[in-house]
Amino acid sequence: MTGLDYLWQALTPFNLLLALAGVVAGTVIGSLPGLTATMAVAVLVPITFSMEPASALILMGAIYTGAIYGGAYSAILLNTPGTPSAIATTFDGYPMAKRGDGDLAITLACVSSVVGGLVGAAFLLGLAPPLAEVALAFGPVEYFWLAVFGLTLISALSDGNLLKGLIGACFGLLLACIGVAEISADIRFTFGSQVLLGGIETVSALIGLYCIPVMIDLVATPDRHLKVTTESKGFRLREALAVSWKSKFNLIRSSVIGTLVGILPGAGGSIAGLVAYSEARRSSKRSDSFGTGEPEGIQATESANNATVGGGFIPTLVLGIPGTPPDAVILGALLIQGVRTGPSLFTENGAIVYTFIYGLILATILMLPAGLIIGRYAYKSIITIPKALLVPTVAFMTMIGTYAIRNSISDVVIMIVLGVIGWFLNRFGFSPSPIVLGLILGRIAEQGFVQAWTIGAATEDLTGMFFGRPISLVIIAFTLVSLFYPLIRKRWSMKGGAVSAD
Amino acid sequence: MQIESKSGKSDIAGTVTAVVFILLASLALWDTTTMTDSDSYVFPRAIAAAMIVFCVLLIAYNLVRGAADSRDADAGTSGPVSTPRRVGLVAAMLFSSLAMPWTGFLLSGVFAFGAIMLFAMYDPWTPRRRIVFPLAALAVVLGFYTLFSKVLLVPLPVGFWFR
Repeated sequence: MTGLDYLWQALTPFNLLLALAGVVAGTVIGSLPGLTATMAVAVLVPITFSMEPASALILMGAIYTGAIYGGAYSAILLNTPGTPSAIATTFDGYPMAKRGDGDLAITLACVSSVVGGLVGAAFLLGLAPPLAEVALAFGPVEYFWLAVFGLTLISALSDGNLLKGLIGACFGLLLACIGVAEISADIRFTFGSQVLLGGIETVSALIGLYCIPVMIDLVATPDRHLKVTTESKGFRLREALAVSWKSKFNLIRSSVIGTLVGILPGAGGSIAGLVAYSEARRSSKRSDSFGTGEPEGIQATESANNATVGGGFIPTLVLGIPGTPPDAVILGALLIQGVRTGPSLFTENGAIVYTFIYGLILATILMLPAGLIIGRYAYKSIITIPKALLVPTVAFMTMIGTYAIRNSISDVVIMIVLGVIGWFLNRFGFSPSPIVLGLILGRIAEQGFVQAWTIGAATEDLTGMFFGRPISLVIIAFTLVSLFYPLIRKRWSMKGGAVSAD
Repeated sequence: MQIESKSGKSDIAGTVTAVVFILLASLALWDTTTMTDSDSYVFPRAIAAAMIVFCVLLIAYNLVRGAADSRDADAGTSGPVSTPRRVGLVAAMLFSSLAMPWTGFLLSGVFAFGAIMLFAMYDPWTPRRRIVFPLAALAVVLGFYTLFSKVLLVPLPVGFWFR
C-alpha cells in the first residue's frame, strides 16, 4: 500500500465524522478548567473499544488535539488555563482579551494550534523511528536541566522585580514538595495533616492561583470583565493569518520545540509551552512586550503544546513508552484492542499507523473551522453574559472541575485558599506565574536531581553526571543564553547606539 | 538585578511578606530535620535556604535603597471597590465546599451560585431578572452536575443528609 492509499482510508466519511466529533468534544472538555486532555481521552476511550483500531486512534487523537487547543479559551478569556499546557497562554492571552482583542487572541491560538499540530504530525509521519531514539538518550539529569531551563522563565514573569519572582518560584517549589516524596516516600511538610498527604494537585493550584484572584477583583466593582468593542470584527482570521505569517519562524521553531519536548516521556505540553514561550521571548524584537498582550507569546505556546500531540505519539507507537499522560491512556486502549506497539508497528501494522497519522492530520485541519466557531461562541458568551451570572458560573466551574481531578473536597478548599494567598501576593508585587512555574517544574527538577545525584554518587562522578553529558551541556548552554541574552542584547544595542551617535 | 525604584508608597507589604516567607522557609527547614532519607531533604532544604537568601536580599534592598512599590492594585477600576463583596465571594465558596460532605455537591453548588450571584449583582433587580437569573443559575448548576455525574461519571458527593 502507498501513502495515498492510507490517506484514502483515513478519508472515509466515518473517519472524518470521528475526527470532527473528537475535535469538538475535546475542545469543549479542554475549555473547562479542571478537565485536562488526559481526562478527555480517558472519559471518551470506552467508545472506541468497538471500533477498528485506526478509527479508534483517529478519534482519540482528535479528542486529544482538540482538548489541548480548548485549554486556550479559558486561558485567554478567564486567565485560567483550561489544561496545564495552556499556562503560558494566560501570560499574553488574558492581557489581549482585557484590552478588547480576545477574539484575535482566540483566532491566533486556533491558527497556531493547527500549525503546531500539523508540524507534530509531519514529524510523526516522516521521522518517528529515528526521533524515538532521542527519548532514550534523555536521562534524569537531562530532565533536571530541562526543568532548570523552564525556571529561567522566572525573569520574564517577575513583573519588574526579579527577587520577588525568585521568592515566588521558591514558594512554588516548596509547595511541590508537600506530601509523600517521590523517590524516598518520606512524608514532607504535612505537619500531621491527612489533607496535605496527597500533596498539592497541580491543576487545582493553577485554577486557584490564576482564576480566584480574577473573580475576587471581578466581584468588587461593577466594571465589565473584558473590554468590549462596539463593532463586530468577526473571526479576525485575516488579521490572525497576517500576524502568523509575520512570525512564521516563531511558529515553526515553537512547533519543533513542542514536538521534541513531546517525544520526552513525562515532559508534556506544559513544559513544551513554557520552553517555547521562553525561546520566543528571547529571540523576539519585542521581548519587552511579552506578558502584556504580545501575540507572539500565544503563538509560541499554542503551537508548541499542540505539536506535543504528534511528538508524544512517536515514543508511544515506536517504543511503547507514552510521551505524554494522554498517550498512556491511548496506549492502554490500543493494548485492549490487541495492537502491540513497538519498532515493528510501522512495518507490520502500517495500515493502522499511517491511516491514523493521516486521520490526525485531518483532525488538526478540521480544528480550524471547528475551533474558530466554538471560539467565537465562547468569546461572545463571555463578553455578553451579565456579571451576576458570569462570576458564579466560573466559580462553580472551578469548584466542580477541581473536585473532579481527584474526587477530593480537600482539593477544592486548597484551591480556594491558594487563590486567596495568590490574590494577596499579587497585590504585594509577587506575580502568581513564578509560583506556578515552581509548582510544575519542582517535581520534575527534584526527581531528575535526586536520581542523577544517586547515580553520580554511585559511580563517583558527580561532576561528569551533571556537566559531562552532551545533551545536558546543550540544555545548560540554552539556559545560560536564555538568562543572559537580554543583558547581552542591551549591551549590544547600547554599543550600536554609541556607534551611530558617533 | 531588576528592582523597582519608582517613587510612590514604600514597599512595606513586600518587606512584611518577605519576613513571612522567611518564617515559612524556616519552618520548612525545621521539618526537613524529621526526614530520614537524604533524598527527601536535599532538594527542599536547598530551596528553603535559597528562599531565605532571596527574602533577606529583598528586605535589604527595600531598607537600604528605599525601593518603592508604585503599583496600585485597584488601578483601572472605574467605581468604588467593595471589600465586603470580595470577602463574601471567598466565604461563600469556602462555606459551600466545607459543607459539601453534609449537604452534597448539588445543594452546596446551588447555595454557592446563589450567594455569589448576589455578591456580583450591580444592576437593579428588575422583575425579569428576578425570574431569569435564578432559572439560569439552576440550569447551569444542574447542567454541570449532570455532565459530571452522569456523562463523565465523576462520583460527586451526595451528602450525609441525603443518604
